[in-house]
Amino acid sequence: MLWYKAWLETRSRFLTCLATLTIFCAVFVGHAQTLLRREWTADYNRLLFVSQQYIVIVWVLAVVLLGMGGIVREKATGTSSLTLSLPVCRNRLLMSRVGLGLFQAIALGIVPWTTIFLVSSLARMPISISQVAFYTTLLIAGGLSYFAMAILVSSSVEGEYTAPAVAFGLVLISAIAFDAWLRPFSLWRLVSGDYCIDRQTYLVSHFPWRGTLASISAAILMLLASMRIIQSREF
Amino acid sequence: MISPAILTHDLTKSYGPVPAVRDLNLAVQANRITAFLGQNGAGKSTTIKMLLGMVRPTRGEGTVLGKRIGDAEQNRRLRQNVAYVAENKPLYGYMTVEQTIRFASSFYPDWRTDSEKKLLHEYRLPLHQKVKTLSKGMRTKLALLLAFARRPELLILDEPSEGLDPVGIEHLLQLLVAEAAEGVTIFFSSHQIAEVERVADHVCILNAGRLALNASLDELRQSYRRIDFVFPSLPPEREFCIAGVEKIQTAGHQLSLFASRNADAVVERGHDLGAVSIEVAPVGLRDIFLETVKEN
Repeated sequence: MLWYKAWLETRSRFLTCLATLTIFCAVFVGHAQTLLRREWTADYNRLLFVSQQYIVIVWVLAVVLLGMGGIVREKATGTSSLTLSLPVCRNRLLMSRVGLGLFQAIALGIVPWTTIFLVSSLARMPISISQVAFYTTLLIAGGLSYFAMAILVSSSVEGEYTAPAVAFGLVLISAIAFDAWLRPFSLWRLVSGDYCIDRQTYLVSHFPWRGTLASISAAILMLLASMRIIQSREF
Repeated sequence: MISPAILTHDLTKSYGPVPAVRDLNLAVQANRITAFLGQNGAGKSTTIKMLLGMVRPTRGEGTVLGKRIGDAEQNRRLRQNVAYVAENKPLYGYMTVEQTIRFASSFYPDWRTDSEKKLLHEYRLPLHQKVKTLSKGMRTKLALLLAFARRPELLILDEPSEGLDPVGIEHLLQLLVAEAAEGVTIFFSSHQIAEVERVADHVCILNAGRLALNASLDELRQSYRRIDFVFPSLPPEREFCIAGVEKIQTAGHQLSLFASRNADAVVERGHDLGAVSIEVAPVGLRDIFLETVKEN
């Protein structure tokens, strides 16, 4: 039932983000197709690459938003004493949120690209499944760090509005800072496919395994840190 | 002898240099209704939070239903048998009444569906209404339903009657007595002394983080007395500094005493000193509470 509680807490945020992403993808790709000729394959692939840039923006904002909540926020809203009086250990409380959040993050990654795939197929400008899988995997696996960061912030920062402000601030600052001084290590560029797209064909040249694994490792470390923080916190 | 439901040994909690609870040695006997009294900020809520593992003690230890409060796993298991209703009656505003009940019931295998239905009917709770739209009284009723229906061994209530109308309060008090009769230990804090006097078997008064009084209500009623003397001349105040005399006040030829015990010895002393009038009156819990927190 902790999953059910987490679902009730996040469903409006999740469904809003899912609808926004899906509608945006369908409209953007559908409209852009009308401006292109079928033989402009490279341009269409470029359009898909641009779509990924926009999807990344909305997806990152969505997963950060979905990572907010939990018992630290409940302390601010006054319900933490009810949650903590349940015969459930704190790690289980956290893991139910993380589990559902991951599921939602995956859905938010898969559904927009499935929409693009279907819209493209209907418009007779099909794209390869491998291209869809590439963008989706990159988004979900590479972008997990954003979700884990949101969980870490929501486990550390009190206040109903302070935690989202800090989390969004961190996303913005890290994107700017890495882009300016540490571009080869920019998570944003990794997730958007910037490092592994052939600039001639706009098709994937290779999958950035090292960057993705580094992002997943960082996400695991942040989730472990969140567990430790939640264990040691007082309510 | 039944072991205490709650037992603490030198339980202490400080927030930085500020002590919230100091060297608390508390023993709450099982199958009784124990009232936990104290002024605002006396440390009642902090004590309860320490018992339920929400706050870590700075020093000392304690057990609830025989399980150590400082051990996370033991604390989780003790919460299986403890129902807690916090002061502000926290509930998830985004759930409906029905969802809240289904959610809470899933954690307790002994959930009493009959009690749930009975209380739902008595409290007239709207099943499909969102909790955030309920009145304060209705929220209190829902919180109480969740606590009573889970078949706890120990019921910890923080200001349980807050927000209830007189009918609701009466119903709650009857419910507390009925639960205690079924063997449930009840530990509750309240500022409503009249309610405490009606249902409590035992009273603990916390003052500035310390346990200032710990006795059964019967003992308090038997031992506490207010004694008024009238003397022909100025009263000999110093002669009454004997064990059990908590407070002495003089006004002209009158002398008033507040005694926690030894009332007979005090009266005899008054006789010996030539008092022309002696009046001995029992003291209510309200006065005992006020004198205890003032005294400390």
